[in-house]
Amino acid sequence: MGDILQLVLKRLGLGAITLLVVSILIFFAVELLPGDIAQAVLGQGATPETVAALREKLGLDQPAVIRYFHWLAGALTGDFGVSLVSGERVSAAISDRFVNTLFLATYAAVIAVPVSIVLGVIVALLRNTLFDRVANVLTLTSISSPEFFLGYILILYLAVKSNYFPAIASLSADMSFGDLLHRTFLPALTLVLVVTAHMMRMTRAAIINLLASPYIEMARLKGVPPWKVIVKHALPNAWAPIINVVALNLAYLITGVVLVEVVFVYPGVGQLLVDAVAKRDFPIVQACCLIFAATFILLNLAADVGAILTNPRLRHPK
Amino acid sequence: MSTFVIGYYALLIGASCLAAYFNKRNIFILVFSLTMISFITGIIGGAPALRFITTAAGMLALAAGTSYAFREFLIIITPEGVSKELRTAPLTAAFGMFVIFTYALAGVFAPVIAPFGEAEVISSAFAPPDETMLLGADQLGRDMFSRIIYGARNSVGLALLATMLAFIMGALAGLLAATKGGWFDQFAGRLADVIMSVPSLIFALLMLSIFGTNLAVIVIVVAVIYSPRVFRLTRAVAGNVVVMDYIEAAKLRGEGTWYLIRREILPNSTAPLIAEFGLEFCFVFLLIAGLSFLGLGIQPPTADWGSMVRENATLISFGEMTPLIPAAAIALLTVAVNFVVDWMLFRSSGLKEV
Amino acid sequence: MVPKRDVLLRISDLRIEGYSDEKWVEIVRGVDLTLHKGEVLGLIGESGAGKSTIGLAAMGFARDGCRISGGSIEFDGMELTTTPESDLRALRGSRIAYVAQSAAASFNPAHRIIDQHTEAPIQYRIQKRVEAQEDAMQLYERLRLPNPGEIGFRYPHQVSGGQLQRAMTAMAMACRPDLIIFDEPTTALDVTTQIEVLAAIRDIVDQFNTAAIYITHDLAVVAQMADTIKVLLKGEEVEEAPTEEMLDSPKEDYTKSLWAVRSFQRPQKHRPKEADAIPIVSVQGIDAAYGKTKVLDDVSFDIYPGMTVAVVGESGSGKSTTARCITGLLPPTKGQILFKGEPLPPRYQDRSKDQLRQAQMIYQMADTALNPKIRISEIIGRPAQFYGGLHGAKLKNRVDELLDLIELEPSKFYNRYPPELSGGQKQRVGIARALAADPSFIICDEVTSALDQLVAEGILKLLDRLQQEFNLAYMFITHDLATVRSIADEVVVMQRGKVVEQGPKDEMFTPPHHPYTDLLLSSVPEMDPNWLTTLLEERGTDAIGEAADV
Repeated sequence: MGDILQLVLKRLGLGAITLLVVSILIFFAVELLPGDIAQAVLGQGATPETVAALREKLGLDQPAVIRYFHWLAGALTGDFGVSLVSGERVSAAISDRFVNTLFLATYAAVIAVPVSIVLGVIVALLRNTLFDRVANVLTLTSISSPEFFLGYILILYLAVKSNYFPAIASLSADMSFGDLLHRTFLPALTLVLVVTAHMMRMTRAAIINLLASPYIEMARLKGVPPWKVIVKHALPNAWAPIINVVALNLAYLITGVVLVEVVFVYPGVGQLLVDAVAKRDFPIVQACCLIFAATFILLNLAADVGAILTNPRLRHPK
Repeated sequence: MSTFVIGYYALLIGASCLAAYFNKRNIFILVFSLTMISFITGIIGGAPALRFITTAAGMLALAAGTSYAFREFLIIITPEGVSKELRTAPLTAAFGMFVIFTYALAGVFAPVIAPFGEAEVISSAFAPPDETMLLGADQLGRDMFSRIIYGARNSVGLALLATMLAFIMGALAGLLAATKGGWFDQFAGRLADVIMSVPSLIFALLMLSIFGTNLAVIVIVVAVIYSPRVFRLTRAVAGNVVVMDYIEAAKLRGEGTWYLIRREILPNSTAPLIAEFGLEFCFVFLLIAGLSFLGLGIQPPTADWGSMVRENATLISFGEMTPLIPAAAIALLTVAVNFVVDWMLFRSSGLKEV
Repeated sequence: MVPKRDVLLRISDLRIEGYSDEKWVEIVRGVDLTLHKGEVLGLIGESGAGKSTIGLAAMGFARDGCRISGGSIEFDGMELTTTPESDLRALRGSRIAYVAQSAAASFNPAHRIIDQHTEAPIQYRIQKRVEAQEDAMQLYERLRLPNPGEIGFRYPHQVSGGQLQRAMTAMAMACRPDLIIFDEPTTALDVTTQIEVLAAIRDIVDQFNTAAIYITHDLAVVAQMADTIKVLLKGEEVEEAPTEEMLDSPKEDYTKSLWAVRSFQRPQKHRPKEADAIPIVSVQGIDAAYGKTKVLDDVSFDIYPGMTVAVVGESGSGKSTTARCITGLLPPTKGQILFKGEPLPPRYQDRSKDQLRQAQMIYQMADTALNPKIRISEIIGRPAQFYGGLHGAKLKNRVDELLDLIELEPSKFYNRYPPELSGGQKQRVGIARALAADPSFIICDEVTSALDQLVAEGILKLLDRLQQEFNLAYMFITHDLATVRSIADEVVVMQRGKVVEQGPKDEMFTPPHHPYTDLLLSSVPEMDPNWLTTLLEERGTDAIGEAADV
């Protein structure tokens, strides 16, 4: 077990370093601004006095490295400073929205993950049949469509023309859970469509890859029935690729969520980020980026650790 | 029961019987499952649903026919080596090539094809389609059709430019890393890891918020975001080539790095790299479309599909298709490229899955 | 001779097609085969002869991309070509079992060996788990696996290759099948390991009176195992006869040529007598390591001009690593290499163009040694251009001359690409590329082991002719002692990174030997069908189990 522990720790360490480097990147990218933040926010017409005042307020007189460590320490405790536009605390603006985004992504994942893995295995078993070809064309089409295309099609047919679901996913505090699921169904479905197609294709590829191994042929030559070949002989070796597929697509959800939130006017972090970018509200942009990047890195980390833990060769060292 | 419904079922059942009689198993399954689906949808949706299926099937048949004809056309006009490859192309790939060809025509000859200029206001806002305006007018009264045509030039051109830049940076770094190894390999690999550990759209938003949204910034930022993907693939493909004995033989002969890359490695990496170029284009294209949709990409009045979706989005709530048209244009091209890439990947994987 | 017994398997006019280049191509073309109960049939042929395909077809199985297109396969009165898949499945593992070439790849890494062993008996309700496990342990003991009570509870990657192959044979025996298909079960093993596996397989097949189809490309191996031998060529039968008869008096020309391959021998040369003769390459006490793992330990030997030194050893003995040290791909951690008396820089990057030119290399796998995207003319021409500065017509003349030397017609091959060539032709191009540099020393790394025997013989003869013509020195890396016997002047035996013995060939092949050389020499199968029996008697059965661990 020593080997495994070492590998996992190594991977965790690497993840931590990546996160640190990314935080540096996010912070110092803003430093690349021509002039500085104060100048950029106030624009060319601002008087030197107002710029100097804002500069002082933001603590820009300190060296960037010191400000970075302040920012990082704040970020670790959930304090991302103050919005340049509204003067509101960034953490206050983000916290509710972050829960909403997380809810939407989870909603989509709960539907997409089981559906796509089961479908992926089925297509792998039926490979090169008509069903497989049709599935291939459909998934390719789904992957190729921008999220807003799928989103607007769903709105047009399921909200505007037939009124099954609301077109705008507005939330209120006193909604029942069922109501919540109903209101957020269309954005979730949009995400499901995109991610399912991806996951299905990758699961299919992973299984087919595995089915070509000699030990699968051996199992078949031992007279093991097809379902048992899959469940007993292929699946235990397929965990690593499948975990990878899932993590990669959950990570993909994070990117997709931004566009979907805008389409459905859903009050999540993505929407906030897009607004902040347009208004050049840097503390919010930095905070949102850091949150998205951290989630992304954590998911990839989880996938790698999962792959290490399920590898039979590593689990039973020589 | 209208005559349409009766004729509809008669045709399907007749076709499935014929297929069964001539032992065409695939066709039979296809037609018969269509019959079964029609039963169910017909009961739920009535004749309109069946009409919809008929239209869809008709369009599919039309697309298949076009693709078939286009493939035969390509086979005839290309030299022998290429046409032999083309014969193996499935109809989906032929369809993809046809679409790409059409887009290229539209892009190159946009000013000739489009009846109006891309920023020319010719009518009232959201005017419905008429004889002069095939698809109606947009939110400022500009001709939708002309803007779609110009969009082929602007949106696709920009994506192509960014893809090429990403490709040159990524592939060059990947080839060098594979050939040289050592610290450069390590450094480039870690750098790619870091860039790829931030979701691409998020990265792009961060950079655009800082540098503003002009075209050069978009191209460079998008290229930087996607070059690590190219780098990793090139590194992997070239990595597989570098371990070959013929590379060792060339190294032991005393050949320089540039010769190794140009003569020995590159010719053995082209197939996966071309396929990757297609895939990469799809990613870049979708990212730029997404940015434009968010209002952070190509800026008005330049005609761009992503921005056009956003500008006309309000029409959706009135049940209008208009905003879907530029979105569909984006999806169609991406699907087309993916179809072609799918076929190329299948070819270069050495027919593993027969 | 096998007494008349009941027919177990009768294959007639079997035709199998494989899918390649968008069409179905017949790869087995009308093969007949009859196997009686308890009989062992050897299927022998070169690569592409269709041996494995026929073996699998005997189980009613065709790999993906293959299909049985005609003929009949009758197993114990059952016609397998028309039997539904579910009934076929019930046969597999219970009445017909399969032993694959690579046990390491054919055991599922996720399950213990014994759980894979007991899968079939439990599934067919022949035994309960506990009984099946006890039975497995007994089989392990019969197959002389170490720690039979415990070894099954390990995972496949925790067990060595030779042991795994025996465990797989035990697994095939689990349901006491009527027929076992052995598909090249020892090809991936070293000679010393091969012996124990061969002995174990033969014993167990005898004990349970199981019929077997033994597929191999190695004549000497099949001679030990089979009652009857069938020779195949390109999916068709050449001839079939009882083993002794087949060995003594083959009828067909093709079979005769196969038998004759091992007879090539050239006269042995000796070192120059003069005391001041300088070896062309002198390896002096080199150590080498991959990371922290030491792979070479104080290796020294000399190679004189015009002579062939064979470096012999099993996998992991360090023979290829030695070559990497000489070429400069892996700088030694200790010691040095002299070239014509001058020390060579350890890294190839630091060597002069002339030093690089003089030492050339020919590789084992011609497929990976020639760039598939470069024309033959450029592959051969590049060294001549690079070192000799030849251009235009001069370069073309030189390439033509080289193609003539390797007996490939220049007009036909000049513009071709490597994938259009056969294995033997590719290897010849590899030789021409080495010659093009006008070298004085060539390292031949297992140059014949990937080739069929007839083709390999041609390559050896060519190398010999070139050596005489250009006074070349060869360092010949091989694990095949038959090759050593035919072309070496001197032999260096390596084991685990050390030179255990070296000397002129005639001395090396006459006793007394170093114990390891002895083991190596005696482990090489001979064409005599009684060789294995005699050897086992000489060694005593107890010694077999440990043979691999010497």
